[in-house]
Amino acid sequence: MTAYIIAAKRTAVGKAKKGKLRLIRPDDMAAKLVQEIIGQFPMLDNTQIDDVIVGNAMPEAEQGLNMGRMISLMGLNSVNVPGMTVNRYCSSGLESIAIAASKIEMGLADCILAGGAESMSMIPMGGWRVVPNLNIAKDNPDWYWNMGITAEALQKKYNISREDQDKFAFHSHQKAIEAIANNRFADEIVPIRVIENFVNENDILEQKEHIISQDEGPRKDTTLDGLSKLRPVFDMKGTVTAGNSSQTSDGAAFVLVVSEKKLKELNEEPIARFVNYAVTGVEPKHMGIGPVTAIPKVLKRSGIAINQIEQLELNEAFAVQALAVMRELNINPDITNINGGAIALGHPLGCTGTKLTVQLIHEMKKRKQKYGMVSMCVGSGQGAAGIFEIF
Amino acid sequence: MNYKINKVAVLGAGVMGAQIACHFANIGVQVLLLDISPKELNDEEIKLGLDLNHPQVKNRITHELFNRTLKLKPDPLYKKEFAQRITLGNFDDDLPKISDCDWIIEVVVENLDIKKTLYEKIELYRKENTFITTNTSGIPIQLLAQDRSENFKQYFCGTHFFNPPRYLKLLEIIPTKETLEEVLEFISYYGERFLGKSVVSCKDTPAFIANRVGIYSMMSVVHLMEEMDFSVQEIDKLTGIIIGRPKSATFRTCDVVGLDTLVFVAQNLQKALLNDEAKETFLVPESIQKMLDLKWLGSKTKQGFYKKVKNEDGESEILSLNLNTFDYQPMQKLKIAEFEKAKVLPELTKRIKSLISGNSKINLFYQKLFFGLFAYISNRIPEITDDLYKIDEAMCAGFAWEIGPFEIWDSLGLDKTIPQMEELGMKPAAWVYEMMEKKESFYQLQNGHQQYYDINTNKHITIPGSEQFISLKNIRSSQTLWQNEGCSIINLGDGVINLEFHSKMNTIGSEIIQGINKAIEITEADHQALIISNEGDHFSAGANIGLVFMLAIEQEYEELDMVVKTFQNTMLKLKYAPFPVIAAPHNMALGGGCEISMHCDKVIAHAETYMGLVELGVGVIPAGGGTKEFALRLSNEIKTDDVRINRFRDKFLTIGQAKVSTSAWEAFDLGYLRKDLDEIVVSRKHQLKYAKQAALLMIEKGYTPPIPPKDITVLGQEGLSLVYSGADGMQVGNYISEYDKHISIELGKILSGGELNEVSQVSEDYLLNLERKTFVKLCQQKKTLERMQSLLQKGKILRN
Repeated sequence: MTAYIIAAKRTAVGKAKKGKLRLIRPDDMAAKLVQEIIGQFPMLDNTQIDDVIVGNAMPEAEQGLNMGRMISLMGLNSVNVPGMTVNRYCSSGLESIAIAASKIEMGLADCILAGGAESMSMIPMGGWRVVPNLNIAKDNPDWYWNMGITAEALQKKYNISREDQDKFAFHSHQKAIEAIANNRFADEIVPIRVIENFVNENDILEQKEHIISQDEGPRKDTTLDGLSKLRPVFDMKGTVTAGNSSQTSDGAAFVLVVSEKKLKELNEEPIARFVNYAVTGVEPKHMGIGPVTAIPKVLKRSGIAINQIEQLELNEAFAVQALAVMRELNINPDITNINGGAIALGHPLGCTGTKLTVQLIHEMKKRKQKYGMVSMCVGSGQGAAGIFEIF
Repeated sequence: MNYKINKVAVLGAGVMGAQIACHFANIGVQVLLLDISPKELNDEEIKLGLDLNHPQVKNRITHELFNRTLKLKPDPLYKKEFAQRITLGNFDDDLPKISDCDWIIEVVVENLDIKKTLYEKIELYRKENTFITTNTSGIPIQLLAQDRSENFKQYFCGTHFFNPPRYLKLLEIIPTKETLEEVLEFISYYGERFLGKSVVSCKDTPAFIANRVGIYSMMSVVHLMEEMDFSVQEIDKLTGIIIGRPKSATFRTCDVVGLDTLVFVAQNLQKALLNDEAKETFLVPESIQKMLDLKWLGSKTKQGFYKKVKNEDGESEILSLNLNTFDYQPMQKLKIAEFEKAKVLPELTKRIKSLISGNSKINLFYQKLFFGLFAYISNRIPEITDDLYKIDEAMCAGFAWEIGPFEIWDSLGLDKTIPQMEELGMKPAAWVYEMMEKKESFYQLQNGHQQYYDINTNKHITIPGSEQFISLKNIRSSQTLWQNEGCSIINLGDGVINLEFHSKMNTIGSEIIQGINKAIEITEADHQALIISNEGDHFSAGANIGLVFMLAIEQEYEELDMVVKTFQNTMLKLKYAPFPVIAAPHNMALGGGCEISMHCDKVIAHAETYMGLVELGVGVIPAGGGTKEFALRLSNEIKTDDVRINRFRDKFLTIGQAKVSTSAWEAFDLGYLRKDLDEIVVSRKHQLKYAKQAALLMIEKGYTPPIPPKDITVLGQEGLSLVYSGADGMQVGNYISEYDKHISIELGKILSGGELNEVSQVSEDYLLNLERKTFVKLCQQKKTLERMQSLLQKGKILRN
């Protein structure tokens, strides 16, 4: 059996703590998005949806209490659709799609909403109550290393210059700015309406409406010179800066995955097919190199050659990490992150996997391309990669 | 007299105005800070499409000046958040708001016309009986008061703050003939109690008291340098700490203040002074004029008497100016025999005596310097003030001199100095000769109060206001109950005694430990409360590392353990004594000094108290109960269901990063002071009296000592795991060294109570044992010894 994607949408990505999406909870944001997606299919009875699976990297506080189930209850106006939350850090949003596809391929389900949602405004990296395992903390502290420190470790191992990292970051912004100017994301973004209640300077409760429909991360004024002047943030003597790392972000993205049977019932044309997905483990301290093992693995499992891949969304956790992966696998930069990556557009952790899939599908459709891939490195030493066939 | 100050308007947001505003905010007053509006839009405003009437544009100058002030180091605010107490505005729109203010302080540019025009506008809005004062340093106050209304004149005087106003103690008050007596009284009272200033009332003479004498002194040093052919570097060595003046001595101070500013005052004085016998001293020598022409003004133009450069190895190096060649030269290693001989004498007056006695070039320099100064100040009475103590007070508070010139003169003896002065052609005022004949001194002590020689009555009079506070210096000779090398126990009366440290930097060694035990014994036997305070430069720089180092080097670990145990026991005795114990720290209260404060029933801290548990810098952990107290305070803070790990992290990082508060307010945030229990006093002068009153109140209320807790909540593995993991990350990120990581983990083991499986409750003794064992264990490490050695020998913290 085959798993098809018939809808792929995302919110714009907000700047964590500064942007307008800081004002909305991730479950609310996801529920609004889900409503929009379902609204496109008048033939679809909500109760026929078998499951809602949401990826989230820090499932606690606002993102706790099985957010997946709450998104289902709020977004589908029915108590009959279950919901779950999955966590594989930065690949959570790809993992949710893979789980949905596997269920469908196994015949366990016909219609699943799979996505990701994350508010880094509300939940910090690591969560609110970080309690490592004492034995690990003593014997293998690098398993808990801050992601920035792992990026520095990668820099040392692969010897990637600060200049190359900054150039990479600069281009990410340039590409994203151009993409926005050319309306490349217009089809995939669902505008989110946020009502802001706040006390104004006259001590009066005021209400303001915001419609968020454009990614907030890309900066027109970023210059190579400006990037080169930033101080390293994770290692005092290092090369990784706020400018050549991904941004912290808020956002949600969902796809609707269906079986062939459901496709016919709904009389819909698929926009993509889920081909395959692989995850691998690597040294936790070299977490960023994860795609180097995940990409060959997924290619091998799918029987697809690397040169058949026409577009790659490679999550830019850090410029140094993306560069190391590209150099190791000899990846063509011209087909990678063609509308910019997470350094410019942001990286809402658990949402990212779905968000990149949504971007990939829409851009490849416009270009009438066939095979595309989404890949990312994952915290504590993992890599993930998924292949999609676009129609 | 029933005035209240709730709101103050500061007009002028320049470097002084904005900082004065900050200091009022520091003490909890609402401030309105105004300055002029721009006459032209800047690029950004044009881009935003704003016009000159837009509020953002109108307040731009005030905002810019204020933000610049907030970046100053040392910080003008006790705490960053206090900036919110200051409202910014501009003269055009916001001047009417001064009608709500209780005090208006004018700090605009030093120009008579501008000031007078502003005063006219102030008259429109100022409510009657509102204080209106000027911070001018150059314009006669009488001139400024002209043409004003009756009520304005009655409430008008000069209030001259010194830069930086938070830190420099002097506030000169200059009345006019019309200023009401009660206005002066109130401002003096408020300045002293609320703003923590040394208030000196002055006559309306050019540059008032401190700048008149201070600039004279600086200029005379410059002339002496030329005359006797000394280098800039030599002069600074000779005119710094060795003679009780700031470390920045003469020329480094010039560089910081700005040569143009100083010359401006000197030239004004030169013009304004008619009957000053030393008028020519204010003439600017050619070399200084050349520096002005070259714009070598000091820090603000990046070069002055000194210049910081990067040498070939990329390290910064300080060069000093050769005024003959106008080249900057590397600093020399100066060996001056007279200096070395005096340096070892702990008492300033003895050092000065040593430096001026003899016939060498150096001796002669000092004779000319001091005798010239003595002659000058004696001749300024009654011109600038009738009261000689005011000159001393102004120089100490405004120029940070350790002892005033009259007091130094007393210590040298009039009969000895006057003949020498005459020989050098310097002539003191006639009244000094009269005093000499009568064998009088400038000062004397009477019933614990300092008295000064009054030239009008030819009698000694108690310095006004001195009955309002307690000075250990004045009562030490009559009220000492017990003393050893390191400390003294002084009776404050009313059943309260004070333990005063007086060791070098007030470091805590066996003498002070003995003193604390003795003070507890004496209080228990005959008194009702104990205060720990002193009048040294610092409350205490911490435990005497020398002793620890010696025992560690000799591998006398058992004895070391005993020493630490004695310290811990002494802290517990302070804590559980059956009477109130109050610490009244000021300036540095580090390491052991901080631990002493933390074990008292109450801390009455001076606002300028820099507290910290800084033991990690010398390779150990706080083992005098400091870590234990932090664990206890953490336990008291945690409420059911709190995310306690984050509170633990904050406490751990405070000791782990050896954080030192930049004010007593910050010491609350860091957990060195306890909210709702410990208190802050802004007036250093009144601190001890207030501490005594607090002790008496505690007795009055009925005092019971605390009971040793056995239920201190510690986090065990939950906390410790974070320490291991966090310390590793910090080390990998090059924020701390491998050895810092090691010590941090040792610290974490105490603060968390060790590898306990669950959150548990432990006793003080359990934690004190951990502290002590860890301390002794760390003292067996080579790297700890290297750290101690570095501090002892080079005075530097080594991060090995």
